Amino acid sequence: MAEAAVYRKPKKKIKMFDVINYIVFILLGLIIIVPMWKVLSDSFNAVGVYQFRIWPDKFSVDGYKTIIETQALYRPFINSVVTTILGALLGLVLSTLGGYVLIQFEMPGRSLFAGMLLFTMIFSGGMIPEYLVMKELGLVNNMWILVFKHGINVYNIVLMRNFFEGIPSSLYEAAKIDGCSPMGIFFRIVLPLSKAALASIGLMFAVTVWNDYSTVKIYITDNDQVNFQYKLRNMIMDGDTPTTAYKVSQNTLFNAGIICAILPFMMLYPFLQQYFVKGVNIGAVKE
Amino acid sequence: MGKKNNVTASGIEIRKKSLGLRIWNHRGYYIMFLPVLIFLLIFNYWPMLGVRYALYDYKPVGEPVFVGLKHFTKMFSTDAFWTAFKNTLELSIIKLFLSTFASVIVSIFLNEMGNLFAKKTLQTIIYLPHFMSWAVVASIFSLFLSPSSTGMVNGLLKDWGIVAKDGMGIYFLADENYWRPIYYVINLWKDTGWGTIIFLATLSGINPELYEAGDIDGATRLQKMRYITLPALANTIITVLILNLAKVMNLFESVFVLYNNAVYSVADVCATYIYRQTFAMALPNYGYSTAVGLFRSLVGCVLVIVCNWASKKTRGRGII
Repeated sequence: MAEAAVYRKPKKKIKMFDVINYIVFILLGLIIIVPMWKVLSDSFNAVGVYQFRIWPDKFSVDGYKTIIETQALYRPFINSVVTTILGALLGLVLSTLGGYVLIQFEMPGRSLFAGMLLFTMIFSGGMIPEYLVMKELGLVNNMWILVFKHGINVYNIVLMRNFFEGIPSSLYEAAKIDGCSPMGIFFRIVLPLSKAALASIGLMFAVTVWNDYSTVKIYITDNDQVNFQYKLRNMIMDGDTPTTAYKVSQNTLFNAGIICAILPFMMLYPFLQQYFVKGVNIGAVKE
Repeated sequence: MGKKNNVTASGIEIRKKSLGLRIWNHRGYYIMFLPVLIFLLIFNYWPMLGVRYALYDYKPVGEPVFVGLKHFTKMFSTDAFWTAFKNTLELSIIKLFLSTFASVIVSIFLNEMGNLFAKKTLQTIIYLPHFMSWAVVASIFSLFLSPSSTGMVNGLLKDWGIVAKDGMGIYFLADENYWRPIYYVINLWKDTGWGTIIFLATLSGINPELYEAGDIDGATRLQKMRYITLPALANTIITVLILNLAKVMNLFESVFVLYNNAVYSVADVCATYIYRQTFAMALPNYGYSTAVGLFRSLVGCVLVIVCNWASKKTRGRGII
């Protein structure tokens, strides 16, 4: 047909669209990057400036030195590291156990357990009754609250459940026939197959605990028990500066503090991005 | 769970094992669930018993005294409470629609990006802010917006002559007119990128034949986006909206780190109100804050149930 021979791809239009698309996305990328880059460059800048600088005017690492040498920031940082590691471990243990038990469809009481978990998504006691319980447990003014409070996360339990359900049941059956106990199946078959999911969920818990500010603000007043996020926000927004002997401008110190607070995950992020995204998508599959 | 035995299609009777035997057979699983159960009971169910204090006068010193519905009458006649309640709904719903809209637009255009390397790089960048805590994000933006000599926004406004050079500068976060727009912008900055993940996952599942058919029909790029990509997202958009509508009462940390006493009228939400009524008081009445918390939980509960119902109607399965 003559028409088919004449047909040409509308090249010019596609190009135009692509150019605009790339420009828009470069702008979008800049909007995200510029604030972070300003913080980074300011943290190395010995003088405080308001302008955006790609490279600091007067390079110095004194901001970081001050952070490291300030005893008052030392303890919160350690607290953050310890609670994050333990919190992620506890969260992982409880989520995998919960998720695994929830796929035992033959188990009497399974739906009761599932219902108990889901009910907490509908109703909760609220901030004050929770506070009173924690007080009873001795977790007020105690950094361990950061570990325990995030232990049960129903959403993550459901994620694990969905993931475990995806493991072919023939594997379970075969193991059962070979005389493997529930624990044995869990440790020898389920967990080794779930490394990616474990990484995703463990990371989510770690990020939650590391980033938690409000729990500390509500429950902890003792300066030895607070975490780094709390200390940092108080320093920058509430003027609770830990040291009076500045070597550098206050702005440098603040920005260096911010970098220290985001550094651990920013360093790991490029390697772990796929696990974070996977975590969201395990949930999305079921949605 | 009747006593009836199951009969398969071929007529073979399968005896149902007795309940006791089934429990015994699953003993390993009960042990595995025990830690979860203990945590659940202590950290979730025990506090639920505490909601009874909504009916008591309960001060840090002395025993609780039963007062009936006193706290609820007080609450409903307090302006600050209604402000907080209204702000909670407004802030979270506007935030939800803004960020969902932004995420959808970004993911549709990201989907059009041919260069895989550029796409991946951009994804890496726009996911980044999600991993910063609210405390950090608030700190970053409060430094930018600060009226001091190192505040970027005020500095630039002075350079451009919008604000008088020797003037004080604008204290953005303490200004009722600016606080909300800033709050929305910060939210968009932090979570738009992360919100695209779920939409991009849906988009990657679109049958490419649809686009080929569009090509054959001579559809332009924009037409294909409008008539193929966007409709494919409709279900996911509704899902995201419903899931998040159920959570509007949960709004807390993002406001908590950014607000201050100058902007209560536009920024105070239920959770921050409860916080102040308890922890910023010399002699708090736990009863009153529990009552406000109970009201918040109940509204949240109704929202979840309504959204669950809406979800069942629109996509055939609930959210819980």
